[in-house]
Amino acid sequence: MSVIISKLYKKYGDEIIFEDFNLVFEKNKISGILGPSGAGKTTLLNLCSGLEKPDSGTIEGINPQSISYIFQEPRLLPWRTVRENLRLLFKEKSIRKAGAHESDIDGMLKLVGLGSVGDLYPQELSGGMRQRVAIARAFLYPSELLLMDEPFSSLDYSLKNRLIEDFLKIWEQDKRTVIFVSHNEDEIRQLAQVIFTFSDKPVQILKKETL
Amino acid sequence: MKISTFLENSQQSRIKKVLGKIGVAFFWVLLWALAARWVNSPLVLPSPLKTLEGVVTLAGDFEFFVSIGVTLLRVFGGVFISVALGLVLGLAGGLNKPFYEIMNPFVSTIKSLPVVSVIILINLWIASGLVPLVVTFLICFPVTWTNVVQGVRSTDKKLLQMAKIYNVEQSKIISDIYLPSVKPYAVSALMNAIGLGWKVTVTAEVLANALPSIGMNLYYAKIYLETDLLFSWTLIIVICSLVIEKITLYMIARNNRKGDGQCPLS
Repeated sequence: MSVIISKLYKKYGDEIIFEDFNLVFEKNKISGILGPSGAGKTTLLNLCSGLEKPDSGTIEGINPQSISYIFQEPRLLPWRTVRENLRLLFKEKSIRKAGAHESDIDGMLKLVGLGSVGDLYPQELSGGMRQRVAIARAFLYPSELLLMDEPFSSLDYSLKNRLIEDFLKIWEQDKRTVIFVSHNEDEIRQLAQVIFTFSDKPVQILKKETL
Repeated sequence: MKISTFLENSQQSRIKKVLGKIGVAFFWVLLWALAARWVNSPLVLPSPLKTLEGVVTLAGDFEFFVSIGVTLLRVFGGVFISVALGLVLGLAGGLNKPFYEIMNPFVSTIKSLPVVSVIILINLWIASGLVPLVVTFLICFPVTWTNVVQGVRSTDKKLLQMAKIYNVEQSKIISDIYLPSVKPYAVSALMNAIGLGWKVTVTAEVLANALPSIGMNLYYAKIYLETDLLFSWTLIIVICSLVIEKITLYMIARNNRKGDGQCPLS
């Protein structure tokens, strides 16, 4: 099901972020949102994920139990190994059943090119490797909707390109509805199939491109 | 740098550190010895040697070990209950605002009560032997509770958001996010409680006439004007307190995981 945003209204204090805002994200496509910093892109993702509530309006087509989110930062637990960080996604009962999901974790780590780091702690990995773990976590979680908030912004150019290529490879195998937010046009063009360009606040869609 | 050279250097710096500490201790003992010599009255200020002799004399009696053992049990009992309850109720207080509002006046009241008032009041209600344990618990509990509540509140919101998105089980949010975040606060509370526990337990033993105890031995030494034994018992308290502090720190360090105490990578 597509994600349908209707008549969205959201403000912080006196500042209106969204006013009578409407948008549709197509199912199983990568939609990119391009816009200046602080334009409300992250707010839109937070509204879609349920981390924030709209003041009025509706967002339909999202099952709150079925969302993955790749944040700007990897948000890994520093006191848990990579494997333990990924194990967090599974219910305790299912883990106890003869190591269920361990093969899923291993498979996903291999897919993101981190086959041998399962027992390392996040601080023993480079920034790029940590972001790969975050990508692995997003795909390991059985979601219909994947939200991405500038996940490549802190990485250098070549690492960013490699990670985008890897991301597309994984997405081809496991297609989900993706909403990808960035202020970097190159990143958006490499990844997205539909691009929405946002104005500054209150947000309006300046342009919609289908690639 | 060669590994062997690195090891030699680190060993040398460790030896230097230990020698430095011994030097500082020697300086203070020397100062004490000079002061005792200057005062020239063991009744007012016994020398370090006389104090040590007192410890040796005391150690010849089985009662000595019973007194230390019972006092230790009271300290451990009071500190353990305060840390365990402080952890559980502190987690509840940090996570649940109404519960915090209910607990806060109780904790604030205990915090502001003079220790002596608490000891005398508790002594009215329960047997002397138990007074030090209960008072130690009451005095240490606010420290651990407040620290744990603070730890829960300073847990990284970004990690909690991640857990919410991925529908992480509540039990795992507590064991894998809240508890590791609270750990540095709980450790600091434990160390404070141990230090405080000794002082409160011995004071309560004196005021509640709890027997057998280090506190009552201190009291008897005072009323019989055995100043050297008063110093010997005080020295024993200091040594016990230091040993327990070191053992606790060692056990905490042994159980630390790699990422413990680190800023979350978020």
